[in-house]
Amino acid sequence: MRSDYFIPLIFFAVLLIIQTTVLNFISINGIVPDLILILLVFYSIKNNQIYGMVLGFVFGFLFDLITGSLLGSSVISKTITGFTAGYFSNENKREFYLSSYAFPLIVLLCGIIDSFVFSFFSSSDLRTSFVFLMLQQGIYPGLYTASISIIVVFFMPKRSFR
Amino acid sequence: MIRFFSKIWDGFKEYFILLFLIIIGLILISVNQKPAVKSVRAVAFGTFASISSLVSDVVNIGQLKSENMRLRERNAELMLQMNKLREYGIINEELKGLVKLKDTTSYPLIPVRIVSKSLSTSQNTITLLGGSNNGLKPGMPVVNDQGLLGVILSTSNDYSIARTLKNMDLKLTVKDERSRLDAIMKWNGEDLVMVNVPKTYDIKPGDRIMTSELSSIISIPIPVGIVMELSKVETGIFNEVKIKPYVNFARAENVFVVGIVESKQKNQLELNFFNRK
Repeated sequence: MRSDYFIPLIFFAVLLIIQTTVLNFISINGIVPDLILILLVFYSIKNNQIYGMVLGFVFGFLFDLITGSLLGSSVISKTITGFTAGYFSNENKREFYLSSYAFPLIVLLCGIIDSFVFSFFSSSDLRTSFVFLMLQQGIYPGLYTASISIIVVFFMPKRSFR
Repeated sequence: MIRFFSKIWDGFKEYFILLFLIIIGLILISVNQKPAVKSVRAVAFGTFASISSLVSDVVNIGQLKSENMRLRERNAELMLQMNKLREYGIINEELKGLVKLKDTTSYPLIPVRIVSKSLSTSQNTITLLGGSNNGLKPGMPVVNDQGLLGVILSTSNDYSIARTLKNMDLKLTVKDERSRLDAIMKWNGEDLVMVNVPKTYDIKPGDRIMTSELSSIISIPIPVGIVMELSKVETGIFNEVKIKPYVNFARAENVFVVGIVESKQKNQLELNFFNRK
């Protein structure tokens, strides 16, 4: 396996363990930040859109298998998230996106899309309104994840993009 | 012609790949219940849970595990006993005071620990350190000293995954302890609610809610929560009853699996009874 995919998978395993064991202590009203999403957005911007989609697909597949959620729901949501984040993979602006206030904003956008799509496919309750899905299951988790992603910006080594 | 397709591919390859991956995702959704998928899933979460349980051990190292386990087991037993006595008390008040009900049921409790939690707004699941080797089976209720947490969904040899009450796919028949009225309870993504409750039903805020004997999943009385409020009172012919669960899902660590599975034989018998001409 190419190291391009191997290293993100190692990070994925570590972050998933942290997410399912430690992060429960900082859950707000049952909502926890999605570390996998932050990792996916980071690598999608760092590489390109196709890479982001494939990585999102793999992350989603493993996440569904391991956590017992509906197989396929995270696959679709993370693939679309990788696709969206890949839009910001511009060679000239990559460094700016990854090491400035723009990164949490991209994570927020991707978080909203990811949570919304995941809820849409995993929820069997079709009577739930669109606005409710968007607000409760899209914006709140997205905001929490985006606020955690600020940490990435602070600790991002500038030289890693050159 | 080839150049034409090559040009289209170059211009839109991201979209084609996205479409292809989404189609695979949709296919995966459609094969969720296949036995092969279930067995792959059991291996995957079993492997992952064995690693995350190590981390979980480190996180919880400050706790006095053994004493806690003993006390929690005692607590859970007392909770089930107390609930049973409460049941008996109410039945006695309702014209059965002189009838001696023979207690033929004992609930085996299997102590297990939560090794990881997947908290989301729609699909809460927990992974338990205990699997088919410990006698756990899909369909068994998961409880702690406060009440019902969820139901086991899938098991591997040493680990299990359970859906908590905060999972949209788990719907249970529950009962108001005071008025003895049954309704379907589910998680709507925001609240635990009893749905389609006729307005004529005598359900008030503060009533205790427990699992109903009508349930085809859990037919023993286990406390679920307390009625918070009745919504949609002004419109329609049905109310929606909001329930505050007794269990704090975020804090739960050591739990018990009640070692009973609803009898398929009983369900089939009831089904045949209702279907007979």
